[in-house]
Amino acid sequence: MQTRRQFIVRGGKLVAVGAAAAAVGPTIVVRDAKAAGQLKILQWSHFVPAYDKWFDPFAKEWGAKRGIEVTVDHVGFADVVPRATAEVAAQAGHDIHMFLGLASAFEEHVIDLADVTAALEKKYGKEVELARRSTYNPVTKKQFALSDMWVPDPGNYHKEAWTKIGMANGPVTYDDLVKAAPEIKKAMPQMQIPIGIGLSQDIDSNMAVRNILWCHGGSIQDKDSNVVLNSPETLAALEYTKKLYGVGMNQAVLSWNAASNNQAFNAQQTAYILNSISAYRTAQDNKLPVLENYFFTPALKGPTGTQLASEHVMSGYVVWKFSKSQDVAKEFLVALVDASRDSMLASKLYNFPSFFGAAAEPNTPVAKKAESGAAWITAQCNKDPFGSNPVDKLALLAKSLPWSTNLGYPGYGNPAEGEIFDTYVITDMFAKAATGALSPKDAMLEANTRAKQIFDKWRQKKMVAGGGKDK
Amino acid sequence: MSTTTSNPAVAVAAPLSAGDTIRRSDRRLGAIMLAPTLVYIGLLVAVPFMLALFLSLTNSSAGSLEFSFVGLANFRSVMASPVFQRALRNTFVFTLASQVTVMVLGNILARALMKSFFGKSVARFLILMPWAAPISLATLGWLWIFDSTFSVINWLLLVVGWLQPGQWYYWLGDTTLGMIAIITIHVWRMLPFSTVILLAGLTSIPSEVREAAAIDGAGTLARIFQVEIPMMKPILTVAVLFGVVFTFTDMSLVYLLTRGGPYNSTHVLASLAFQDGVLGGDVGRGAAVAIFLVPVLVVLAVVMLRASRRAEVV
Repeated sequence: MQTRRQFIVRGGKLVAVGAAAAAVGPTIVVRDAKAAGQLKILQWSHFVPAYDKWFDPFAKEWGAKRGIEVTVDHVGFADVVPRATAEVAAQAGHDIHMFLGLASAFEEHVIDLADVTAALEKKYGKEVELARRSTYNPVTKKQFALSDMWVPDPGNYHKEAWTKIGMANGPVTYDDLVKAAPEIKKAMPQMQIPIGIGLSQDIDSNMAVRNILWCHGGSIQDKDSNVVLNSPETLAALEYTKKLYGVGMNQAVLSWNAASNNQAFNAQQTAYILNSISAYRTAQDNKLPVLENYFFTPALKGPTGTQLASEHVMSGYVVWKFSKSQDVAKEFLVALVDASRDSMLASKLYNFPSFFGAAAEPNTPVAKKAESGAAWITAQCNKDPFGSNPVDKLALLAKSLPWSTNLGYPGYGNPAEGEIFDTYVITDMFAKAATGALSPKDAMLEANTRAKQIFDKWRQKKMVAGGGKDK
Repeated sequence: MSTTTSNPAVAVAAPLSAGDTIRRSDRRLGAIMLAPTLVYIGLLVAVPFMLALFLSLTNSSAGSLEFSFVGLANFRSVMASPVFQRALRNTFVFTLASQVTVMVLGNILARALMKSFFGKSVARFLILMPWAAPISLATLGWLWIFDSTFSVINWLLLVVGWLQPGQWYYWLGDTTLGMIAIITIHVWRMLPFSTVILLAGLTSIPSEVREAAAIDGAGTLARIFQVEIPMMKPILTVAVLFGVVFTFTDMSLVYLLTRGGPYNSTHVLASLAFQDGVLGGDVGRGAAVAIFLVPVLVVLAVVMLRASRRAEVV
């Protein structure tokens, strides 16, 4: 009979042998043949679920035709950046990583895709300017990402509410929101939030406050990457938002997440939101009562007539330097742009091609491809193939390019703009000014200080220009 | 005839006694048994901690493996930030408020569970469920309960007349209400753990002690505060210290519920470190924020070890 000591010692030896076998076994039995003939893609779970149902088989079939095993992993949009951080730290992971905002912070770890962009421009003509400004760094002259799509950000308005107050076609200017809010409150008392513009730490609020800032003539940086947030124009934007908050919003908008404005509009708790058509498609899919009153407006105009809205989403595909399938990855990205029509249709017109020419009619000369592609896009928007009533409900999206712009406007998107976006510096500025937590001027100065710290840090890394004319 | 060696130059080691052999084998065996744990703690705790300390002194960013030493610049910048100052205060408020509440409610629940009643096993299962529920799923449920537009709490308060038409609680859109929501969910989550520990403490008190106190004329409150709680002190100390450490370092609840909003006013140190370091990509800054957890945790670790030692001696 064993003693307790003998049992423990024998058991320990067994465990040690087992662990050694487990560690050694796979490295002997399984060879690392995986790098060749494999492509791993990480991208977001699309806000329109139908798109992922198209993308995954598309990618796998593309790979199967070439003897390449393609794996597609989806993560929530909030996990895109943390996953990238982890893969860079580990120097291992996927081959292609899709960013939704600015991938510029990861520029050092991605390959230059200038050859891919050049090949696509040769095929289809130039990409849209806002895509170029989101994927190219003029300081390092590196094409760090490729965009296959961007998403317009129109106003979504409740027809019945606005008709009751005599504005059946919805608002045209930001001032219209201030005038309409108290009227909507009277006409539709069941709506908790007459104007549903978020001021919280989420992606939609980030876009919305930038729209207000730009339309009032303000911006975070100028075209040469100098920080210019401290300006009368920014102050005007903050004063405006404070007024709007007082007449048309409440504290609920300070707690919104990315789905909240969709939910509020679809529940008919608000009469106006800034959002892509994802909320509308949800209402269609679920046949919600709001559908008959669901309509769209272009970007609103500011006091001087400036009409701008940020892209709601801008894809930025990067190929990591540690990828062992870089050439395959580049080929796939070209194929993805080639399939721009399918992509737009699969997303139910959510995705707009970054290369308009990729949606052109076959056999169109290169010089005419962008025009042809734009015509095709217009045709889809004018007669929505996904059941809008009336069929031209989305017609305004076809004309969205002139009023759509990139994060970083009027300059290029860069790592500093990306960090300011991801740490909610601008939404906090607007929220503090709107609620009175700080005066508009103090809120502006606080945000400006933080913005300059962030810009200076990236200038030291020589990835952002400017500095001589910071305000 | 003498059998002893007479040559003093040859020193023969005294043969090991059976006790010596066992002691030396014990030490070796003990070291071998402890080794996996030490390796685990070293790799997953000590190494990341030293790395964080190092990174906090650099300008490391998420997208780069290269960085420069910047001294205490990150700490200076962080300490000057109103957001950090708020987060530091919130961390202490969150920890203190939630732990006091958990201790009081845990005591009440534990005492209730000591009694026999119909459905006790079901009640015990329900009490333990929050502890078993994954925090992300639970928080999603609570997100809806506290939603600023659709809150079921507000609906209930309207129905019973506490809220009048036009009145509303914007739970996650108000700084104070947001902290109350965070503390409420954390108490809900920690209560089972504390209840189980306190129940163990209560059941370990001999019944004769309670009987003697009753005979001596001690009322219920006197018995609880002057007899039972002092006797449960080692257990209470362990429960409090575990709870404090867990609460002080928690980031998931704030991140999932408010993301630190409205306007960064409900951040705690851990969530702010995540926002700055991972989401914002400023790893050096995020590490600097996280380092501020260390002094408090070191003090707590020392107190915990002393409390455990005292409990062993007793």
